[in-house]
Amino acid sequence: MMETKVDTAWCPGCGNFAIRDVLEKALHELPVPVSKIVLTSGIGQAAKMPHYVGVNYFNGLHGRSLPLAVGIKLARPDLTVVAYSGDGCMYGEGGNHFIHTIGRRLDLTILVSDNRVYALTKGQSSPTTDPDVKNPLSPEGNRNIPLNPLALAITMGAPFVARGFTGEKEHLKELIKQAILFKGTALVDILQPCVSFNKINTYQWYKERVFHLENPLTDRYEALKTAELWGEKIPIGVIYRNESAECRQIKEIFRKQATQEDMECQVDMKCVMMR
Amino acid sequence: MEMNIVIAGEAGQGAFSVELELTETLSRLNTHFFATKHYMSRVRGGHNYHMIRIADHPVHALRGGKWDMIVALDGETERLHKPNLREGGIYLSQEMAKEIGDAAKEAFGNIAASNAILVGIVLAVIGVSPEKVAEAAEPGKEEYLKKGVEFAAQWKLTGAFPVSATAGEHRKFDGNQALALGAILGGCQFMAGYPMTPATSIMDYFSKAAAGLPIHFEQAEDEIAAINMVLGASYAGVRSMAATSGGGFALMQEAVSLAGMTETPVVIAVSQRPGPATGLPTRTEQADLHFVLNAGHGEFSRIIFAPGATGEMIALTRKSFELADRYQIPVFILTDQYFADSVQICEEEIPLDVGSREYREFDRTYKRYQLTDDGISPLTFPGLSEALVKLDSDEHDEEGKITEDQGLRIRMADKRRNKITLLRKEAVSPTFYGDLDASSFLFCWGSTKHIVKEAAERLSSEGIPAAVLHFGQVYPLTPEMVAPYRLEEKRLIGVENNAGGQFARLLKSELGLAVDHSVLKYDGDCFTVEELYQALKGLLS
Ligand SMILES: Cc1ncc(C[n+]2csc(CCOP(=O)(O)OP(=O)(O)O)c2C)c(N)n1
Ligand code: SF4
Ligand SMILES: [Mg+2]
Repeated sequence: MMETKVDTAWCPGCGNFAIRDVLEKALHELPVPVSKIVLTSGIGQAAKMPHYVGVNYFNGLHGRSLPLAVGIKLARPDLTVVAYSGDGCMYGEGGNHFIHTIGRRLDLTILVSDNRVYALTKGQSSPTTDPDVKNPLSPEGNRNIPLNPLALAITMGAPFVARGFTGEKEHLKELIKQAILFKGTALVDILQPCVSFNKINTYQWYKERVFHLENPLTDRYEALKTAELWGEKIPIGVIYRNESAECRQIKEIFRKQATQEDMECQVDMKCVMMR
Repeated sequence: MEMNIVIAGEAGQGAFSVELELTETLSRLNTHFFATKHYMSRVRGGHNYHMIRIADHPVHALRGGKWDMIVALDGETERLHKPNLREGGIYLSQEMAKEIGDAAKEAFGNIAASNAILVGIVLAVIGVSPEKVAEAAEPGKEEYLKKGVEFAAQWKLTGAFPVSATAGEHRKFDGNQALALGAILGGCQFMAGYPMTPATSIMDYFSKAAAGLPIHFEQAEDEIAAINMVLGASYAGVRSMAATSGGGFALMQEAVSLAGMTETPVVIAVSQRPGPATGLPTRTEQADLHFVLNAGHGEFSRIIFAPGATGEMIALTRKSFELADRYQIPVFILTDQYFADSVQICEEEIPLDVGSREYREFDRTYKRYQLTDDGISPLTFPGLSEALVKLDSDEHDEEGKITEDQGLRIRMADKRRNKITLLRKEAVSPTFYGDLDASSFLFCWGSTKHIVKEAAERLSSEGIPAAVLHFGQVYPLTPEMVAPYRLEEKRLIGVENNAGGQFARLLKSELGLAVDHSVLKYDGDCFTVEELYQALKGLLS
């Protein structure tokens, strides 16, 4: 059932290859037929992922993978829906959707190849780029404070928030599977070295810093504190897991139809107007 | 016979409630009416007015000219509308309105009862008998209406402008209600939106309907999210639509292009208001035709409808969903604030069967973008069979995989563009009114339909023959649409609610037709029949 390897559009050594391998495995190991799995993505190097893993996909516009996923899930709660994109796509162009999608309390998975750079457009600052990093459009160094996706997701009420690392493939695969099987909005931010444009956050740099969280944190404030850790020590694993958060009930609409009798009532609705 | 009334006051003073109660009651009495309004972008204060034409024949436009009756709920009414009262007309002054309010409080302990009392007065003015008034009253409001009938008697207004009830069994709709209903009848089950006047009431109706039906409305965080949710739902297998106004549509444009590229069926309603930018948020204009026509980068096919009557709105919106699916394209419904906020009787029968998608099954060799002889790829949805459904906003191969192969690029670009040839064959003909031999032809589109029709009828009855061509489909335009009319021998006049004559420009570029004159209005109001008649008379005689 594995997809034959096709010509991928990534540089040799790119962290996305590792993600592709584990994502493909994870998706095919799920207790769900691949025909019931949909990946949505935006635009960027990361967003090409759906082309390489052998499931349904809607590779949409830069920044818009999440509203696509929301629409799909609301129309078809029977489908397993995963949104996949880069840090620029999810947290920058699509930042508003990131915030509000979490609030919708849907059973969705959000996977982010976080290389802390706009790779496809050749190395500009992304929302997760460190301060003072120099790049073509910030020759004097990035002036912004980086966005913390994990803390933001926890603050918005996401019930499953995790971080993975492409250098720890088995661990990452399990994280992805847990996230997809979790009933609720699940985020996995994936530390993804970009060998072409991020010369700071390299494999080696991460290897020296990442440590595994033993157990998922269940206290939101503890989780927030852990999500704030960065620099010398970088936690990977499930940072926050809230089993008691409830998913929203979705009405079944697919292949259901209003009847002629239903419509008899609709035609006599009172006017609303002026809005 | 007819009676033209304006009820004016500050926002929040109840003029709108009077209009709503009056039109509901007139409808129950099987009396012909047309109602519309002029309101400001505020919740309280300012000056709004509600115009209702009551007649013993079908009416679908404002008559214009002098008012038969004015109801003044504020001081501004006297200054603004009283000079327009016909001789012998009824002026229900602010003092009289206050008297009504006092009576409402005294008799019913409820100031809101004044609205129904006013309705009672109007019904008495048009000569509805007290028994009929009682019958037509909403349950619980009989006494209020009766009080109104008493006031009318006391002020000697009873039967001042008699109008008999000739409408028979019918339905009534406002424009956005007709649009939402047409969508549901077309099998639309999903809408996502972000509130923006004058499109919000489309969402209102849709979400109300959703409450009891297999239909979902999702309020999105912005218009970009809304349209992408809609495309997601459509991809997943559910007929879906978005509704917005010009500013919101500006935000949706990139996704319109996405629909074109991914060949995802979608219907988008754009309810126009005057721009640029925020413009006049609660007024009307037809100035987004070229915007919608050209919306979205790149080249792909589309259809644009601009219905001008409630029955036509329902029929064309319903049809939009069939066409969007069949050709896998975006279909647009262009409407505007005037049409959205006008309530009228629908003379046509409305078929109430609900449309549905086709759900086809394929095996693993399925290709979403298969190149076929008829130019249309087989459409299916994820999870129905082994087939994987792969959409890509990049240029793609037949399977839906990203490609930069230039040969494929050309074939895919041709496929998207050539759908227009098929759409041309399906084009909906314009509605023709009048005499084929008329020397002048009035061209119009969208909401102005019945205004132009009535103005032309008046002209023709006065020996100035004018015929009307109303385009419910404004794109694509085909030579066949106008072939029966020998237009090369006619004087062509465009009538549009905009400053630039946008449809005239389209007629020129698509059909090589040049209008000889344009009658344009862009102050935020629609035309009245009288106003248009005068303008045309000046031109034609
Ligand atoms: C509306 C829009 N703006 C800009 C772009 C150009 N663009 C493509 S990808 C990208 C940034 C990608 O960064 P990220 O999402 O982090 O993905 P990466 O390439 O790093 O994996 C940009 C700015 C676009 N395609 N669409
Ligand atoms: S530019 Fe960076 S992220 Fe993109 S493929 Fe190359 S290494 Fe990977
Ligand atoms: Mg990136």
